[in-house]
Amino acid sequence: MARIDTPAPPRGDAPARRPGGPAQDQRREIGLLNGLAHISLAIWAIIILAPLLWMFLASFKTNTEMYLGNPFSLPSSFSLDSYVRAWNEAHVGRYFLNSLFVVGLATAGTMLFGSMAAYVLARYKFIGNRVIYYLFVSGLAFPVFLALVPLFLIVNNMGLLNTYTGLILVYIAYSLPFTVFFLTAFFKTLPNSVAEAAVMDGASHTRLFFQVMMPMARPALVSITIFNIMGQWNQYLLPVALMQGENAQEHWVLTQGIANISVQAGYEADWAAMFAAVVLSILPMIVVYAFFQRQIQAGLTAGAVK
Amino acid sequence: MSVPPDSTSDLTRRTLLRRAAAAGLLATPAAGLLSACVGGGEDEPTDQAEGEKSATNPLGVDGKAPLEIYIFNGGLGTKYATDVHVPSYKKAFPDAEVKFNQAEEMATVLQPRFTSNEPPDMVNNAGSKLMDQGALVQAGQVQDLTELFNAPSLDIPGKTVKDTLVPGTIEQGSFNGKPYTLNYAFTTFGLWYSDKLFQTNGWTPPKTWSDFTALLDKAKAAGKTGYAYAGANAAYYQYLVILTTAAKIGGADVLKNIDNLEDGAWTAEPVKQAAQLWGEIGAKYMDKAHLGLQHTEVQLQQNQDKVVFYPSGSWLENEQTKDTPAGFNYAVVPVPSATASDKLPQTAIYAAAGEMYFVAAKGKNPRGGMEYLRHMLSKEGAKGFTQLTKVLTVVQGATEGLTISPGLTSSETMLKAAGSDYFAYRWDTWYKKMDDECRAATNELMFNGGDANKFVTRMQKVADEVKKDPSIEKFKR
Amino acid sequence: MRHGRYPFIVGFLIVPVTIYVTFVIAPYLQAFYLAMTNWRGVSANPKFIGLDNFQRLLQDDIFWKAIRHHGVLLLVLPLVAIAIALVFAFLLNVGGGSRGGTLRGVWGSNFYRIVFFFPQVLAVVIIGVIFRRVYAPDESGLLNGLLGVFGIDPIPIMADRNIALFAIIAVLVWQAVGFYVVLFSAGMASVPKDIYEAAVLDGAGRASMFFRVTLPLLRDTLQVAWVYLGIAAFDAFAIVQVLSIEQGGPDGATTVLGMEIYRNAFSYSQMGYASAMGVALFFVTITFAALTLRVSRRETIEL
Repeated sequence: MARIDTPAPPRGDAPARRPGGPAQDQRREIGLLNGLAHISLAIWAIIILAPLLWMFLASFKTNTEMYLGNPFSLPSSFSLDSYVRAWNEAHVGRYFLNSLFVVGLATAGTMLFGSMAAYVLARYKFIGNRVIYYLFVSGLAFPVFLALVPLFLIVNNMGLLNTYTGLILVYIAYSLPFTVFFLTAFFKTLPNSVAEAAVMDGASHTRLFFQVMMPMARPALVSITIFNIMGQWNQYLLPVALMQGENAQEHWVLTQGIANISVQAGYEADWAAMFAAVVLSILPMIVVYAFFQRQIQAGLTAGAVK
Repeated sequence: MSVPPDSTSDLTRRTLLRRAAAAGLLATPAAGLLSACVGGGEDEPTDQAEGEKSATNPLGVDGKAPLEIYIFNGGLGTKYATDVHVPSYKKAFPDAEVKFNQAEEMATVLQPRFTSNEPPDMVNNAGSKLMDQGALVQAGQVQDLTELFNAPSLDIPGKTVKDTLVPGTIEQGSFNGKPYTLNYAFTTFGLWYSDKLFQTNGWTPPKTWSDFTALLDKAKAAGKTGYAYAGANAAYYQYLVILTTAAKIGGADVLKNIDNLEDGAWTAEPVKQAAQLWGEIGAKYMDKAHLGLQHTEVQLQQNQDKVVFYPSGSWLENEQTKDTPAGFNYAVVPVPSATASDKLPQTAIYAAAGEMYFVAAKGKNPRGGMEYLRHMLSKEGAKGFTQLTKVLTVVQGATEGLTISPGLTSSETMLKAAGSDYFAYRWDTWYKKMDDECRAATNELMFNGGDANKFVTRMQKVADEVKKDPSIEKFKR
Repeated sequence: MRHGRYPFIVGFLIVPVTIYVTFVIAPYLQAFYLAMTNWRGVSANPKFIGLDNFQRLLQDDIFWKAIRHHGVLLLVLPLVAIAIALVFAFLLNVGGGSRGGTLRGVWGSNFYRIVFFFPQVLAVVIIGVIFRRVYAPDESGLLNGLLGVFGIDPIPIMADRNIALFAIIAVLVWQAVGFYVVLFSAGMASVPKDIYEAAVLDGAGRASMFFRVTLPLLRDTLQVAWVYLGIAAFDAFAIVQVLSIEQGGPDGATTVLGMEIYRNAFSYSQMGYASAMGVALFFVTITFAALTLRVSRRETIEL
């Protein structure tokens, strides 16, 4: 380093001196980190978006363009034929509504029954409490398809095969382990003082639950709801096994519809239509998420003030 | 009906007691439900529909009984059923309701129906998720079709159904000597290429192994991949070709020994030689990328003239209809002779009745199910099938008067040239585990080094395991 | 408060427990029973064979291979996914430094938050289809096309037995990160702002803030994430089934227990043996969950 007695002007590349004082230094650090932060976030965003965009482009490509062409090239034409095929032949619209209906009711049921069970298990001591709790939790660890054949027989015996009622009940049943597991943990963390105050005011157990505890548990409820919606929306094995019989195809949910096109594509190879169907089915989900993103975040963070 | 030994259908006192004990162990609030489920199904024959036998109704079908059928929705589509066979049945029995169903995952959808003894009457068991036919037979779920094959043909006068079929059809659907399935589609296998590509380059289809490699060299020089198959999901196209070569070298008994799980069937010299020859093709003329591709993707490359030879069955042309450029002209040749001392001629091919249809023995209307098969096996039924799917059936002469596509014509020529020199094996459907292992071993052979010894010892090992496994029902032919 | 306690408990439990026992426990118990039979899935009468299936399991190479793969998944998946998600959550929430006295995320954090979450709304079937093309072994694939731009020869990603499993883990990470970003964001937002601000006043850099403030306060959330991802690591069946070649290949290089159960149940019709594998998987998963919860247990119950 040069021997200069007079203070050197602040230079970005002079590591030994801290002429700008701590505040300025921190700002530079922030600038650098901000740059790195933005680069890493942007890269991840590209990693997420590239396959999705590519799929969107692929829905306009011919089989030859898709499998033999340059992956980065644009399709030769942006004709909507493949979308028309997906809509007409694959009935994406109807399956979407079916999915919406089933998942809507099943998630609502799951949340209601799940939180009721979790609440009781978390906050009341009684004989058999632990047994029931572990019964629920153990369900997390078992692969669904092993239960398929026995499950089919049970549902069939109850006359619920190929009905929405049956499917919804089964969805609820298979979502309960996860829901109960996490909500129980959450209900345990809720402060006792509020509950005691409510009881002082003469609230019944039921009122205490619906009017005091449920609102307090909102953040947890929101995040588990999201999780259940996603899980049930993507469920495939259960509807395949249970929605069969006459006119079963009209009751299909979206994943079945897409898998059907995918299987068909293996034989007749209309990949463009398949990707079109995929785009049609995920667009609404993405729009809904983007739209409710704030509420979801808010719900998740509502527990901030303790 | 008779059931193979080790049948599980006889409900002995012992198993009953054991089950009761197990149910006791599992006593839960749902015990009542349990008993209604697995193991609780009764074996009493359900009420099965039966009508008067007559000249027009040789199988004694109850004309009013509903008939439920399940057709696999795959390469052949389901139109041939809805547009040809179902109407044919309904014409004969106007009062019968025919419930038509289609499915992609046959096992997922139908296994529970069989377990609960409520099977549909007729099932087209096919696709990548087909049910294990051997297990179904073992469980007494499959109707013996002897009566059907002995019945008179629907529209070929003076002949029984059996007489109208390509030789070998019934054997192909037999389990330990009894006919349980109808294998309806008749498929020939060989090496497919574009006739146009050969014309433009002045190439001739190879007959000997040296012709073959010489042609592959030329293809390589022209910047093409000489030989390809899809490793990701279609390795069985390739092991079929390897075993075809083995059969040509050592005779069709090589395959019979493999089917019958004879000791050393895989390590036999012809199999080793065939693996050796093909392993060299793999190492020299194949593209490693194809290991990760699916069949439709490789077939597309062939349509674009990037791949010269592709091993497949005669369904290929139909499968690729949408992507085949005009004038491509599919053609097929038998797998070339391996050595000068081959036991079978160059024209010998692998050809088999495939695509299984069976009738549920414990269904409500097994006679109707058999009658449905009789309609499929009528001349009109077979013709309609070939028209819609471009796939030949096992009904002889059903293609008379049909205009046929280049690929199908080429297959027919190849079949004619083969005469009686065609053969097939069964082990892949009898023992699914060996099928899986052979796919993996074939990919290893063709893409990873081409060690023939490793291939045969690996296969011998799994064959021995299957042979020793008491839980797997064995079949002989 | 004693009054009406038991009617209330019973009233709240009766419906969920009935549904659950009917549709989940009853079938599972039957599966446990079936694990001790030679049932082939299509007959009505399984034969009881005791523990034979389990004995066979111990000698089954492919079973142990699958267990090893779960080990790899369990090691890599949670670590990578949680690490990436934590960093991003931190950047999105408090990474923007303080402005006007309050901490905020970097510019555009809302956009990133939405984008990162996208993969969550895709069904596994769809993800499988997409990534089959992304990983295509020739230059028509997204990844190999990209490598081609840099003059690198195509890699047969899913066909290379050394790479395939990690390629599958990469997809799982790709899908998971978004959810954990949201989860951790929620956790971070619930950390009182004044703690961060106090840290800033103390002159803590962002790195030390991350390690000294954020991480310890996120303990519970991290534990939840770990359990979720651990359970995901024991599953992974669906993605293996749709993405790997030869369903768990090449040559078993990507197989998981779920895949083998499925294969034995539906392809080999060895329902009894498949059920035995399922029971094994059940105990492995249960053990993992119990260990995780025990190790990281902390008194949070206020009762």
